Amino acid sequence: MNTFSENKEFHPIRVLTSRTFRNNRGRNLAAILAILLTTLMFTTLFTLAQSLNRNMIEMTFRQTGSDAPATIRGLTEEQAARIAAHPDVKETGESIVLGLAENTALTGTQVEIRWADAVYAAHSYSAPTTGRLPQTADEAALDTLTLDRLGIPHELGQTITLEWRKDLSCDEVTVSSFTLCGFWEGNESSYSHSAWVSREYADAMTAGAAETDAAGVETVGTDAAGVETVGADADNAMLGLRMLQIFPDTDQDIEGVMDGILAETGLTGLKYSVNLAYLPEMNASVFQESLPMYLGMLLVFAAGYLIIYNIFQISVTADIRFYGRLKTLGASTRQIKRLLYGQADRLCLIGVPVGLLSGWLLGMVLVPVLMGTAAQASVSASPVISLGSALFSWLTVLISCLRPARLAARISPVEALRMSDADAPQKDRRMKKAAGNTTVKGHRMESSHPGRTGSAFLLSMAFANLGRNRRRTLTVICSLTLGLVLLCCFYAQNAAFDMEKYLADLTLADFELSEATSEDYMGGYDPQGTTLSDSLVSQAEALAGLEETGRLYSAQIEWELPEDTVQNLAAFYSEDRLADWESYDPSGAQMLRDALDTRAASAVLYGLDGIPLQAAVQESYLMAGSFDAQAFSTGAYVLAVGPSIERGTVPDVIPAPTPGTEVSFNGQSYTVMAVVYPLNPVTEGASQKDADARFQLCFILPADGFQSLWPEHTLRKLFLNVDDGHLKEAEAFFEEYTETVNPGLPVVSRQSMADQYQAQTRSAAVTGSAVSIVIALVGVLNFVNSMVTAILSRRREFAVIQSVGMTKKQLCRMLVMEGLCYALITLASSLLLGSLAVGVGVRAMVAGGFTTFRFTLLPLLLCTPILLFAAALIPFLCFRNLEKHSIVERLRME
Amino acid sequence: MKNDIILQARGLKKYYGKGETQVRALDGVDLDIERGSFTAVIGTSGSGKSTLLNMLGGLDTPSSGSILVDHTELAGLTDEEAAVFRRKQIGFVFQNYNLVPVLSVWENIILPICLDGRRPDRKFIMKIVSLLALDKKLDSLPNQLSGGQQQRVAIARALAGKPSIILADEPTGNLDTRTSDDVIGLLKMTSREFHQTIVMITHNPGIARMADRIIHIEDGHIAGSPAQERA
Repeated sequence: MNTFSENKEFHPIRVLTSRTFRNNRGRNLAAILAILLTTLMFTTLFTLAQSLNRNMIEMTFRQTGSDAPATIRGLTEEQAARIAAHPDVKETGESIVLGLAENTALTGTQVEIRWADAVYAAHSYSAPTTGRLPQTADEAALDTLTLDRLGIPHELGQTITLEWRKDLSCDEVTVSSFTLCGFWEGNESSYSHSAWVSREYADAMTAGAAETDAAGVETVGTDAAGVETVGADADNAMLGLRMLQIFPDTDQDIEGVMDGILAETGLTGLKYSVNLAYLPEMNASVFQESLPMYLGMLLVFAAGYLIIYNIFQISVTADIRFYGRLKTLGASTRQIKRLLYGQADRLCLIGVPVGLLSGWLLGMVLVPVLMGTAAQASVSASPVISLGSALFSWLTVLISCLRPARLAARISPVEALRMSDADAPQKDRRMKKAAGNTTVKGHRMESSHPGRTGSAFLLSMAFANLGRNRRRTLTVICSLTLGLVLLCCFYAQNAAFDMEKYLADLTLADFELSEATSEDYMGGYDPQGTTLSDSLVSQAEALAGLEETGRLYSAQIEWELPEDTVQNLAAFYSEDRLADWESYDPSGAQMLRDALDTRAASAVLYGLDGIPLQAAVQESYLMAGSFDAQAFSTGAYVLAVGPSIERGTVPDVIPAPTPGTEVSFNGQSYTVMAVVYPLNPVTEGASQKDADARFQLCFILPADGFQSLWPEHTLRKLFLNVDDGHLKEAEAFFEEYTETVNPGLPVVSRQSMADQYQAQTRSAAVTGSAVSIVIALVGVLNFVNSMVTAILSRRREFAVIQSVGMTKKQLCRMLVMEGLCYALITLASSLLLGSLAVGVGVRAMVAGGFTTFRFTLLPLLLCTPILLFAAALIPFLCFRNLEKHSIVERLRME
Repeated sequence: MKNDIILQARGLKKYYGKGETQVRALDGVDLDIERGSFTAVIGTSGSGKSTLLNMLGGLDTPSSGSILVDHTELAGLTDEEAAVFRRKQIGFVFQNYNLVPVLSVWENIILPICLDGRRPDRKFIMKIVSLLALDKKLDSLPNQLSGGQQQRVAIARALAGKPSIILADEPTGNLDTRTSDDVIGLLKMTSREFHQTIVMITHNPGIARMADRIIHIEDGHIAGSPAQERA
């Protein structure tokens, strides 16, 4: 204490700040907790957003296979040297491609055999972590994934044999054996893998072939499939293809810098590609990904604001006479505001640092969870985050204090005096009037119903009290109702999502096994692939608990369009439709034009039985015609697959053979029984390899009939349904199979799809719930604030009522009833508005898509007891607090 | 005499509300207070005496009329200017003392001076403190003092800033008769000692009789009391 005898300078606002601070322990604790939480959330979200940014860019680097800003393919050694010498180029990495490894064990993956210098290897995420890059002709370095495929243990000195073709147009296979001199951890998400060989080996192999000149590979630059990888159409030019990674000394406007470098080196003819991660689109998508975080920050701000605001508002209301007194004694508005902000700053000083630390720790835990890739995710911990979060929290607190500070500073001294003046009833007009009203009303009621001293009278009094500050009552009820209604809507919307419907489009069965090349869009589907070997199929069909199976075969043949089909296609694909198609897929539209001109198209034939057949011919999947199972099984009929349009809509003319017409495949003729909507799990996948790029139509025929036509075609897909009790067992079987027998077996399980969906939509779900929780919190806080301030500002009024005979119990009951009135009105309006919002709004919103609408107000039901409990508890606690002072004390209200 | 008027009010009106429910708390009050005088304003509850005092102290603004305190016109002051005016020119003594509970007696006394950014005149204040017999209580907190002691602290606070005028609103309202007499005696004695002007409102004629001049206020008007005024 600043005593008289110490004779120190007395700074009244400073002293008052510190003493009122010390006298408000309860409030301080609550406020510090709120500030701590706000800071924690800010830090976590900042950390998440930052890490997300970094990890997304990192992921893009890994997917494109390199973190080099720009790459040039197909240039000469001399050109490479000229670019490397340019002053704007910080560093270059060089590599020479020889070919693709074609070992059968590597089917379905792309392994490029190439030489690279240390820079190139390092920036391609393919620098050996064990061992080194090859130096002699008999050495090679590979990644662990490729080694696993080849079945070679991760040990230096192992012998590796790679089969590849120098010339992809002829069948001459080069087989070379190497000693493993280095390896590194492979990356699943990368498009292709590298097998490094030495320069010596590369030179020997390319000795025959001339240095590729720039013009020879021009097509590659536009290839959508690869920024750096070799597309399927990079024909013979692959051998000796020289690639250069360029690192300019800036990472802004890579295109501009590259154009400049090429112009200045006189190499404008060279095509370069810019790494996806350095394109402006990347920034946009990074922003989009971190949008939830920024929205979250807004929410944190809103929630933090409300909590801190409420705490200060209540505290100021309770101490309003204190501020009035200071004002009377001559404190200016600025001094009173400083008093409040000083306390807020003190609270921040404690809350913010603790919040920063815990927020950072939380971020460390959350980043790997949200990214799903624990191994590669890195957590940002830059001082910018701490500084930013601290600043945000501090601003939140200051903004929260704005209104309470204004309230305290604006208090008119007379008002403050009135509140403390018990002996001047005429001054207390407003309050007295209100108190008088209720009291008088109460008395009247009591005298007219002498037997009823109970609830009815208290209830009417409580109800009358709600009407005293209509605006506040309305605000509280509205915000609570809004929170509850939104919660109901979010819940109903989420509940409407129908996983079965969603999965039906992705997968037909509990397990779907495919041929490895089925999804090989570069090499094409191999109809004689061996992934689904007889032994695997028989093992799978012997699984315990197996309920149903289904097979899918496919073949693609050249096919001459019948007259009827040509007419249908021409009618369906009007010029408008074609132009629209052309705008996103010019080659597809061109193929159709060619087909209509020449009638040369291709037919994709699917041989189905079991699960996929049943799914494809469901009533809702029939676009035209009807399905007769018995007739279909005779083998004389086929089903045509219609265009992919929304199910339920039937175009005027269906661009497929009309049901009933004859079509012939491989000389055999069939009758088209019906046209069906395309079923994604059946029709998805790569085109058959070596098939001509033509307009194609799909047909379904029975699996048995298919096999007699193409006996040499192996199974493309196997569908298996297992009863629920054996799902785990089956899963374990496939897991083991892919681990021990064939790591290349594609297995899709219903469960894994569902998990994947949930993982993908997790952040959306979290955001949605967070929004409604924050809104509900707002309502609850408004309610608490409203109750507490209403009771605090009526302290003396209650003393008056008590002094004329209301018992403590009655007062308490009256207050609780006031709270319950609030709750009941809120619940009633929430029920009404919620039913409307869910029944009309949500129903309309979820129509279509993978949803099944169910009317539910479950959140409201769950909140009802909580709300009622809180509505009774808060007034009760306030009453307890009130009771700390005697009636006389409160009447004099010092 | 006429030229030593420290407070001059002309046509002071304060109305609350409108229409039928309008309350005329003050309805045309003219008043002159001489420097160094001790004036008591007496009236019943609701007569408007507290409203008058609030106007004079710049706590409330009149509906119309003017108040001149030591050459400062109060009628047009903003909230902020009024606060500065109060801490410089007015010393308040309230019925309920209005001490700040978290500050010691000494801090309470010097609070208005420090809020004004001035340095307290220690010698001067110590003189007040010893006259009011508060020397031993300077480091105490208000709640450790009796009612009479608290009111003496309030008087010391009112005097400490050397204000133009001290306004006392029922200063003895919460005190027993003996303490009341003591407090009023002290108020009168210190004001003489420091040549302070005091305006005090009370509804207790006995207390009022200790003043140099008594003004009766009734229904918002000053009631003529020629005998007292002449004395």
